[in-house]
Amino acid sequence: MDFTLTDEQQLLRDTARTLLAKECPTSLVRAHIDDPAVADALWDRERDFAGLGDGPLTDLCLFTAETGYVAAPGPFFATTALFAPLLAAAGDDRLAATLAGETSGTVAMAGLDGTWAPNEEPVKRFVPELDSVEWVAVVEAGPTLRVVPTAGLPMRLLGTADWSRRLFEFDVADLDGARRPLDVDAVDAVVAGATVALAAEMVGTARRLFDMALEYAKQRVQFDHPIGSFQAIQHRLAELSLAVERADSAAQYAAMSLDAGTPDRRRAVHVAKSAAGTAATRAAKDSIQVHGGIGYTWEHDLHLFIRRAYGSESWLGTTGWHHDRLAELLLDA
Amino acid sequence: MRLSFGPEVEDFRGELVAFLDAHAPAEALAGYDFADSGAEERAELIPAWARSWQATLFDHGWMIPGYPPELGGRNATPLQTLVYLEEMARRRMPRSLHFPGYAIVAPSLLDFGNEEQQRFVAPAIRGDTIWCIGMSEPNAGSDLAGLQTRAELDGERFVVNGQKVWTSYAMVAQKCFVYVRTDPTVPKHKGISLLIVDMDTPGIDVRPLRHLSGAANFAEVFFTDVSVPAANLVGGLNDGWRITQGSLAHERAGLWVEGVSRLEATVQALVDLVRRRGLAGDTGVRRQIAALYEQAASLRALGYKGFASFAQGSSAPEHSYMKMATSELGKAAYELGMQLQGADAVTTDPERGEEHGRWVHMFFMSFANTIAGGSSEIQRNIIAQRVLGLPRA
Repeated sequence: MDFTLTDEQQLLRDTARTLLAKECPTSLVRAHIDDPAVADALWDRERDFAGLGDGPLTDLCLFTAETGYVAAPGPFFATTALFAPLLAAAGDDRLAATLAGETSGTVAMAGLDGTWAPNEEPVKRFVPELDSVEWVAVVEAGPTLRVVPTAGLPMRLLGTADWSRRLFEFDVADLDGARRPLDVDAVDAVVAGATVALAAEMVGTARRLFDMALEYAKQRVQFDHPIGSFQAIQHRLAELSLAVERADSAAQYAAMSLDAGTPDRRRAVHVAKSAAGTAATRAAKDSIQVHGGIGYTWEHDLHLFIRRAYGSESWLGTTGWHHDRLAELLLDA
Repeated sequence: MRLSFGPEVEDFRGELVAFLDAHAPAEALAGYDFADSGAEERAELIPAWARSWQATLFDHGWMIPGYPPELGGRNATPLQTLVYLEEMARRRMPRSLHFPGYAIVAPSLLDFGNEEQQRFVAPAIRGDTIWCIGMSEPNAGSDLAGLQTRAELDGERFVVNGQKVWTSYAMVAQKCFVYVRTDPTVPKHKGISLLIVDMDTPGIDVRPLRHLSGAANFAEVFFTDVSVPAANLVGGLNDGWRITQGSLAHERAGLWVEGVSRLEATVQALVDLVRRRGLAGDTGVRRQIAALYEQAASLRALGYKGFASFAQGSSAPEHSYMKMATSELGKAAYELGMQLQGADAVTTDPERGEEHGRWVHMFFMSFANTIAGGSSEIQRNIIAQRVLGLPRA
């Protein structure tokens, strides 16, 4: 298989990197903690890339890797990785406006246990960015789909340790709107695609945590030498960089297999999310360890990314959950 | 990014597959167990079928595809070479059972040898001459540049005294690449030279060295006043260190394929073992298997990603990642196999237990993989300093 980026993909990645470095500094991630509306300006710039929600997944992943690198808040992921693919699967006529960046949306599917599969539970939880999008697509047992406006919807912000991604809970029992049938495999494919897009995003977060540790190891002097010259630090960072590179490759491969529909694509999705979870949580722990005391302060930006890493690890299936699904495919088939 | 390569590469694959179908001997097709280094204790070190298979590969241009036909190749591109290594690893098929000649001596002589010495290249690749490499010493392991075997120039000859160790195939080799100290007064990297030594020269004593499994496929080699013609110096006097870095550079970016294929085969064997032992319902076991699969699968992806950057001109640092990761994971996988066998983990009795102690044997053998060819610790140093740019202590 060939991992070479095309010129267009290279351009997309570079454009995303430049845009997000400028539009999403850590000061914005901090300000968003108290005032989510500060992320509106970022979303206004990201609207130009909403078309990535229509595939190929490899391209969307190049972009989410960069949003993960800056712990971007806002509705980009919900709109492009969840809402748009679901509209496409359902043949919903709001798709065109969504891909054009003219509207935004999210998806409600998981019940209280956080598993993203159609279910009969009346309360949906872990719904991303519900108060900052115009539409919510509700997937229920059947599976069925209802797309309803979010304006005036009763909702509850779920308190979490990751303030860069806002998750909500709301009751779908009394919602208006007719349910339309959905293809079960199509729902499966939407969740798989979002999972891989999140894995790519997590690789971006892991890379940020790693880069911060590497930079610090090169400049921090103790015992008259940069701490990065000591083997204890070198070996920790070498192992961490392997975890990050491994996860990056796994996410890219999973995106390629979903795009191409290869027979091993389901395994590839679980490999991608679990490799990304392993890398991101390891990066969080190793990065703060390399930073020492300074990384433990509120003023230091490290915790913004540690929070994002663990928030992403818990969402759309933990590493352990994906290992369990992988084990089913390997041992129970 | 795409999942398959272009037609020029897939045509090449087809040609290779047709050749293997037509020519591979039964022993090679049966799949030589790369992980089972102990196979050598049960058979000849280099059996006749392996020697003739290597010659056949050479004669048909499939021994080192990236080389020209006179050197056993067909001027293959790096990508075609990757496909070659893929197909061989998929079949677990060896091209040679003695690597020093084709993988180290040949490329080193092509780069550094004089015209006279380059005559040795083709026979080394074809396997007609068996070579060994006199590199490691009792006091020069990871710190290879600290080697102490002395060579003193006496007119037209060097006189060599000292000891080498872990010298693979020394018992059957006709020639040896010996790294010697020719100037003890300068910093260690600057006083090393490389000599070609005929193994039947008086004063060479080869003592097979049994490793912990009980087999002996390498040896200690003692040199006592061994006389070597000055013309056998490869490269310049005291300029031998840079030759130690030599290897099949154009194949380096694809060497991981074999390690990953072996790891994947081991994971599959573990899946079979779990089912056989009725452990498929054990949550802990299930997660261990899944975690190993995750690592093997993502390493394969990393190998291909590294190759893509190599093909675009970067230096393929992934080699150090892959070497370290596949060897460490292999060790963990074999130990898991033992764990799954419960009380029979160490049972090697051919009439008791199962698989005749295959897992414990592989586990013990795998200790070598995280030591030889640059230990895991050395690989981490390389990654930290050359890939991540961290300062040296």
